[in-house]
Amino acid sequence: MSLAENKPAALYHRVVVWLLFLILLLPLAGTLLYSLSTSWSASILPSGLTFKWYVALWSDPRFLAAFAQSLLVCFAALLLSVLLILPLLFVVHYHFPKLDGLMNILILLPFAVPPVVSSVGLLQVYGSGPLAMVGTPWILIGCYFTVALPFMYRAITNNLQAINLRDLMDAAQLLGASTWQAAFLVVLPNLRKGLMVSLFLSFSFLFGEFVFANLLVGTRYETLQVYLNNMKNSSGHFNSALVISYFFFVLIFTWAANRLNKDRP
Amino acid sequence: MSYLSIRGLHKSYGSTPIFSEIDCEIGKGEFITLLGPSGCGKSTLLRCIAGLTGVNGGQIILDGQDLVPLTPQKRGIGMVFQSYALFPNMNVAQNVAFGLRMQKIKGSEAEQRVKQVLELVELNDFAERYPHQLSGGQCQRVALARSLVTRPRLLLLDEPLSALDARIRKHLREQIRSIQQELGLTTIFVTHDQEEALVMSDRIVLMNAGKIVQSGDAESLYSAPVDAFAAGFIGNYNLLDADAASRLLLRPINSRVAIRPEAIQLGVQGAIEGQIHSHRLLGNVIRYRIEARGVELLVDVLNRSPADLLASGQRINLNIEDNAICEVA
Repeated sequence: MSLAENKPAALYHRVVVWLLFLILLLPLAGTLLYSLSTSWSASILPSGLTFKWYVALWSDPRFLAAFAQSLLVCFAALLLSVLLILPLLFVVHYHFPKLDGLMNILILLPFAVPPVVSSVGLLQVYGSGPLAMVGTPWILIGCYFTVALPFMYRAITNNLQAINLRDLMDAAQLLGASTWQAAFLVVLPNLRKGLMVSLFLSFSFLFGEFVFANLLVGTRYETLQVYLNNMKNSSGHFNSALVISYFFFVLIFTWAANRLNKDRP
Repeated sequence: MSYLSIRGLHKSYGSTPIFSEIDCEIGKGEFITLLGPSGCGKSTLLRCIAGLTGVNGGQIILDGQDLVPLTPQKRGIGMVFQSYALFPNMNVAQNVAFGLRMQKIKGSEAEQRVKQVLELVELNDFAERYPHQLSGGQCQRVALARSLVTRPRLLLLDEPLSALDARIRKHLREQIRSIQQELGLTTIFVTHDQEEALVMSDRIVLMNAGKIVQSGDAESLYSAPVDAFAAGFIGNYNLLDADAASRLLLRPINSRVAIRPEAIQLGVQGAIEGQIHSHRLLGNVIRYRIEARGVELLVDVLNRSPADLLASGQRINLNIEDNAICEVA
């Protein structure tokens, strides 16, 4: 404490922090102001304030569809992740702990290959033939599943290691619980935190994903980011409203993730 | 007729044997300690009895019933783990009630039984707390209560005191022992701590490298170790090879010899002349390193008064009674 109360140093620290805030917030503040202004071109301050861009945005059926489709693809991908990863993690950590090393390498693959490269590969494999699903949301759900995998796997693994899975399972079974009862009553409730945090993180990330969405599906099943890209030639005020809306939505999610991170199980 | 009888039990992982040909008879209400260094197979043996680890052969007969084909759920065994293994999402009462919930025992009977065991471990004021709000010793008492509430036929304790600090360890080991005696519960306790084993047990089973080395009550294990390992693991025996022993005792001896450091008397009209090398103060005991006839010996003397302390270099006579000399394999 005494170090922080050292006046010149404390002042310096404050200035640095506020400056950083300013630099980070200035573009956002500018965008926010632009999205709220009637017109703002040749003057220092906007000529007037209005909500009309937000009204226009939130009443555009194409935007609402893109928003809903983004949500749908993200939720579907995350649901798939939960259904597949939870049992997988359980099996790896309870029955085959040696596989964890292999899994750690496998789950990093989606990070190791740049999205543009893997898109080209996916287009080749799923572009035609029996598994032709390029241009449908299905390919995006599958692809997003692989993107979410590392987040989910790591966060839940950390959680699993913190709770001493083996002893908890053993204790529950000796008290008469079947493997399923032990998993649902004892293990799963203790993974809630890791699961929720990783879900929110993955969601924020996937909701802003553009490369896969644009290359694999494009306008055939327009997501929010693709819609934003397609709207780049329309009014700047309108686009600003879109960016701010998107940012605000993700902000709420990140805030929720942080809240969950702080709470004890 | 023993209550639990383990016959020809063996266990290996692949081609690595963990233990083999374990035979052990345990009477009803007995407190047995499996004592041994880490990696000797004692914890694995305990897990095999619980059914958490399969065995490769042999029988575990509890009250006339072979446990080997049964799942852990059906064995009626309670177990306490070194890591406590409390369920973090449940409070103390819910943790303790878990076993009853699995047995579909609900309502006032369940409440009554939870209350009873919590009283037994002196934690009735903590029923609403969560595990993260408890100290290590309290956690372990909850774990004990949780394993007792289902009225197990056999209680297994896997190094339950190893993660606790010394003071709480001493208190809890007395509490465990008195609860065990009160309930007349057949108990197997695993530890690597010889003091714990000596203080708590009716009988100690000393294990090394997957084999039972010696079993018996504390007195026989402490005063008559069967081999060099037993002598080395329990107490601080002076282990002499045949040559050194012959030289020290001036008579031909053909095997190794173990002599307890507190069985050697100093300063009396001893037959053996020696010289003090150094000493260490262990609190109530002073441990001298003494050289006698070219053999180095540890000698423990009760620390009665600082004035009695013998200086290094001082010459001294030693006396070793014949019955303190233990020939070991």
